[in-house]
Amino acid sequence: MSKMASMFRPKKLDLSGFVNTRLIRDHNKRNAVEQTEPERQALRYLIRNTSLPQRVRAQAQLQLSQMHAYTRPTQIKNRCVASGTARAVFRDFRINRFQFRMQALAGELPGVKKASW
Amino acid sequence: MSQPRILELVKTQCRIFSLNFNPQRLRLGNKILRQRLRGPALAAWYPKKDVSFRDLQNTYKPLGLTTFDEAEDDREEAIQIAKLRGKGRPKKKRTAAESKSAKKKK
Repeated sequence: MSKMASMFRPKKLDLSGFVNTRLIRDHNKRNAVEQTEPERQALRYLIRNTSLPQRVRAQAQLQLSQMHAYTRPTQIKNRCVASGTARAVFRDFRINRFQFRMQALAGELPGVKKASW
Repeated sequence: MSQPRILELVKTQCRIFSLNFNPQRLRLGNKILRQRLRGPALAAWYPKKDVSFRDLQNTYKPLGLTTFDEAEDDREEAIQIAKLRGKGRPKKKRTAAESKSAKKKK
């Protein structure tokens, strides 16, 4: 199996809205994680199961460590859907703090109101 | 209750609620199997592609219907104006010789 990141790249872009290279890369990582999650969990189970022979567990460890970096869930970073920024992204709205402010003040976020007391 | 009886009770309890019976508390990795898959939720972070004007155009053009894309029309008009002013894009260099001669002129 080749270790190229391009193997996780779809032929045609399946995103709408704001798009930049780093956002697409993160999207590809997310797809790779989704595809390989059962395999990774199975290997993790083999590694954690102390009733299995040591050899099997060591092989599973090796196999897991040799999987592509894109299949690792820790590679995923929550990015702003509206601007691609990776910092200060609200998980509930999927946008960063500045986009949140702009959209909230424009009344585009239902239920969000500027605090005043 | 006696010790074997309690064990028997726990065993039955585990069978009924489909839990793992593990009185020796061995590390069997079952917590991995209990975890839910996070992949679908993670992959759904960015908005998926929806229907664009171009998709509509591609579906209706073969049926003989005419479509009008205002943004595309504006763009083509702007290009025409730029060309008339001599501000259009330079001609594509197809061969190595052509691109060389273009550089020498400088």
